[in-house]
Amino acid sequence: MNSFIRFLNSSIGRKYVMAVTGLSLTLFLLVHMAGNLTIYAGNEAFNEYADLLESNPLLPLAEAGLLGLFVVHVLFAVLLTGKNKTSRTDRYQANLGMGAKTVASTTMWITGPVLLVFLIIHIWDFRISKELMKEYDLAQMVVDRLRHPVGFMIYSGAIAMVGLHMWHAFQSAFQTLGVAHPRYRALIQNTGRLITVLLVAGFGGIPFYLFFTG
Amino acid sequence: MIQKKNHGDLRIVLEVWRQNGPGAPGAFEEHEVMANEHMSFLELLDVLNEQLVESGKEPFVFEHDCREGICGSCAMTIDGKPHGPRDRTTACQLHMREYRNGDRVRVEPWRANAFPVVKDLMTDRSAFDRIQQAGGYVSINTGSAPDAHAIPVNKENADMAFDAAACIGCGACVAACPNASAMLFTSAKLSQYTLLPQGQPERDQRALAMVDQMDAEGFGNCTNHYECEAACPKGISVTNIARMNREYARATLRRRN
Amino acid sequence: MTIADSPNSSPRLDSKVPGGPMDERWSRHKFDLKLVNPSNRRKFDVIVVGTGLAGGSAAATLAEMGYNVKSFCIHDSPRRAHSIAAQGGINAAKNYKGDGDSVHRLFYDTVKGGDYRSRESNVHRLAEVSVDIIDQCVAQGVPFAREYGGLLDNRSFGGAQVSRTFYARGQTGQQLLLGAYGAMNRMIHAGRIDSYTKREMVDLVVVNGVARGIIVRNLVTGEYERHAAHAVLMCTGGYGNAFFLSTNAKNSNVTAAWRAHKRGAFFANPCYTQIHPTCIPRSGDYQSKLTLMSESLRNDGRVWVPEKEGDPRAPQDIPESERDYYLERKYPSFGNLVPRDVASRNAKTVCDQGRGVGPTGEAVYLDFGDAIRRDGKDAIAARYGNLFEMYERITGDNPYEVPMRIFPAVHYTMGGLWVDYNLESTIPGLFVLGEANFSDHGANRLGASALMQGLADGYFVIPATIASHLAGRQLEAVSTNDDAFKEAEAKARERAEKLLACNGNRSVDSLHRELGNTVWNYCGMERTAEGLQEGIAKVRDLRAEFWSNVKVNGDPNHVNQDLEKAGRVADFMEFAEVMFNDALVRDESCGGHFRAEHQTEEGEARRDDENFAHVSAWEFTEEQKLPTEHREQLTFEEVKLTTRSYK
Repeated sequence: MNSFIRFLNSSIGRKYVMAVTGLSLTLFLLVHMAGNLTIYAGNEAFNEYADLLESNPLLPLAEAGLLGLFVVHVLFAVLLTGKNKTSRTDRYQANLGMGAKTVASTTMWITGPVLLVFLIIHIWDFRISKELMKEYDLAQMVVDRLRHPVGFMIYSGAIAMVGLHMWHAFQSAFQTLGVAHPRYRALIQNTGRLITVLLVAGFGGIPFYLFFTG
Repeated sequence: MIQKKNHGDLRIVLEVWRQNGPGAPGAFEEHEVMANEHMSFLELLDVLNEQLVESGKEPFVFEHDCREGICGSCAMTIDGKPHGPRDRTTACQLHMREYRNGDRVRVEPWRANAFPVVKDLMTDRSAFDRIQQAGGYVSINTGSAPDAHAIPVNKENADMAFDAAACIGCGACVAACPNASAMLFTSAKLSQYTLLPQGQPERDQRALAMVDQMDAEGFGNCTNHYECEAACPKGISVTNIARMNREYARATLRRRN
Repeated sequence: MTIADSPNSSPRLDSKVPGGPMDERWSRHKFDLKLVNPSNRRKFDVIVVGTGLAGGSAAATLAEMGYNVKSFCIHDSPRRAHSIAAQGGINAAKNYKGDGDSVHRLFYDTVKGGDYRSRESNVHRLAEVSVDIIDQCVAQGVPFAREYGGLLDNRSFGGAQVSRTFYARGQTGQQLLLGAYGAMNRMIHAGRIDSYTKREMVDLVVVNGVARGIIVRNLVTGEYERHAAHAVLMCTGGYGNAFFLSTNAKNSNVTAAWRAHKRGAFFANPCYTQIHPTCIPRSGDYQSKLTLMSESLRNDGRVWVPEKEGDPRAPQDIPESERDYYLERKYPSFGNLVPRDVASRNAKTVCDQGRGVGPTGEAVYLDFGDAIRRDGKDAIAARYGNLFEMYERITGDNPYEVPMRIFPAVHYTMGGLWVDYNLESTIPGLFVLGEANFSDHGANRLGASALMQGLADGYFVIPATIASHLAGRQLEAVSTNDDAFKEAEAKARERAEKLLACNGNRSVDSLHRELGNTVWNYCGMERTAEGLQEGIAKVRDLRAEFWSNVKVNGDPNHVNQDLEKAGRVADFMEFAEVMFNDALVRDESCGGHFRAEHQTEEGEARRDDENFAHVSAWEFTEEQKLPTEHREQLTFEEVKLTTRSYK
């Protein structure tokens, strides 16, 4: 136990936690996205899928696990960012850098919190609010939400944030976990980008589809 | 990047950071210097310092020694780039033909809390030494070594170990890192020994000790921007950081306490 | 008969060389030496000044043995000592290639290469321990070049006829130094070494005739510190920066050695300096140092200058018939591969004739045109790509298209403080290691031998021989409050104050540059009695000018690089005169010391073994007075004295 706590207190250990939770969340996103795609098959298909999920007795457990992943991911992000901000308090007067960092890599600390805010909205929107309703048509809720300009903006914007976050995060997680043989560096990077594109297209297609066909 | 081919002198406006010590307020001082395209950047600073001495002012302090890119002494951020705009080049090997007549150039020290400013462009990089002292060696007493040919070493590993060992300890990686992280430096030494059979007996202990010391020195965490690799005058690869991450996790799993 | 008994030797210079068969001397000597009991070692403090190959290896090894070591360096980290810049490799008589190498052959080559001006017994010991050095470094994890079978690779270097050079790409010095630095770090971590960085040794403290401490200036705070010990090891490198422009690092200096000299250590053979033929020439007056390029370039490059004086044409416009490939012309069998000193001197000769090239007229061409036509650009790039890149970076010229311009530059100094077989100077308790001693290279050092000597001294010689002092002498306790410490510190402070008080008109660098020009012109590649005398007068004038007109600004109680430089240049100003004097007194040519009066009809160095087969060691007498010369006669029992020929 002692060595585990030491690990979690170390810079590398904390990055491991970020990488492991991050990759798990990526996996969740892929499943989530696959489920969402049922909306293309019509409202009924979507609701059927939702019923199937909700009738699973293990769902609360899965939700708790998911919540745990999010909380840990966010908590360690705060810890790491906090440390990083104090490692250079006298900033450069001219800071152009060497050109290796990207928009995605330098905005992780912005896209992260923005996604957290979105997540709260999203959970309120589709998870908590429906608990308060006696009867609901989930598919219709989705359609209503995304055909509304504000809803459309929030959701499509959030998906762009996911894309930006993931663009850096995927290969970064592999690097952190130590899977970075020079021969696989490009493969990992490209796989990450492919997954990112898939997620953005999969999630992002829906608001556009609904907004512009409604 | 501008390649000036014709012979000639250049007028350069230098803005150099002046700071009297750690925590003291600092500011840029502007000076005009006539350069020649064949000068190295440090020779430009020599000329500036000579001008200052002759006019009774205090010269700027900057670290330098071998002036051939191997000792790792010189350390300055030139227009926001550690060691200046040229790839794989230390400031002493940067030549003025990279610049145009009339250019304005800003020179700052490395900025990281683990590298406090000693004076002007000189910073205290002893944190690097302490990381090495924590475990950057093979514990073998002089005179007790077996014959050099007793253990053959796979050539590919030997070459990779060399690539990692080429680090000159200048600190450009820390200076370039948005988080002032020392992971490229630490991982380079760790990789050298991880890749060689001689480093195996102390492998776990070394990884734990060096990383713990690195953390204790107040460097930031790596967030995988790879600015360090781009700034490294010796082209040390971030693959070494991945290896260090792996080694640290492995050592944690294997440790007994 | 030991060498000290031979005629002509000064009684002050007892070399302590053991007798008996050459190849048993070192073992016997080690057996005869006193030992310090392991449990007693912790009672002894040893100061090691310098953290290059010699200092780093000595500090680590002595600490491993149990001595309390205090290590000092002028850099911010022990890893930055100038040993780090050595490129080529390190020799060892391993005979891994099976090409007939042996300890005896390495010994023989080194004595001959040194033009018969080194001490045979020392050189033999160096060759013997060379094999242990490689074992030690490999065990430390030094990443030497390897073959596909996993064994170490070797190459032939500097004209050696066997492959005995171990290397780590072009950065052998760096890797060996980092090995020693790692060994030091281990001992620092264990609390066995106290490492003091950013400290400059400004005086040696001698108590009752024994070296018992040093005074250092803290280069960050400006404070003076006193450190006492039972022995002092100086591993402070050479004095090449007396020339201002050299391949030495900017901070390399003679100060520590010079202060020890003034406290009674004799300075041996200061006129032996090595000029390396393939350096990038100076491009202007602002030039701060010179960069060496590997000698291997001469394997494919052809050296030439225009036939005509002051030919203004670009090299590619000069037809073949109007080019003078002077090395090939004069030395048909060795051609461009003549030894360093011969290649250097010939370059100077053609430049003196007005046929030098480039903006300063002080360069010759090293042309790869023929090699590229013969082997193709790719083959040449594979061999020398990194060197070509370095050249282009510095000069802006592309050597694939335009011939390189090269010129000789000061690279290494064979002279140094005189030491006996135990590496002890004429001050008991003061040991001198590495380039700082006058050591094993005679009048000329062979390629890949400097790293070998530094590590031999530090890893294998001093750990054994230091016991002769620690166990062999009664060493009473000393305190840093003793008068000797107070006096030395006061003197050092006084010097710094004097420098700051001058408040003249000239920068330290401008005076150093002028000194360098004088040394280069009158005591460089070619020396004459007349020139040396003229040079001495100039050095004296310049020294007076320095002390009356130098300008040092800034705060003495903080980082003050100008003050550091001023102190070092002041010492070079004094040292240069001894160097000139030594060159004047050595009325012969040998190795790196070429007296124009002593050459064969073909312009080769002519030794005078009858009168000059000795070491000249200079004793400081008083300020502004000529030092006294002492001689150690060299005897050659194993190696026959012959004349080198490269025709």
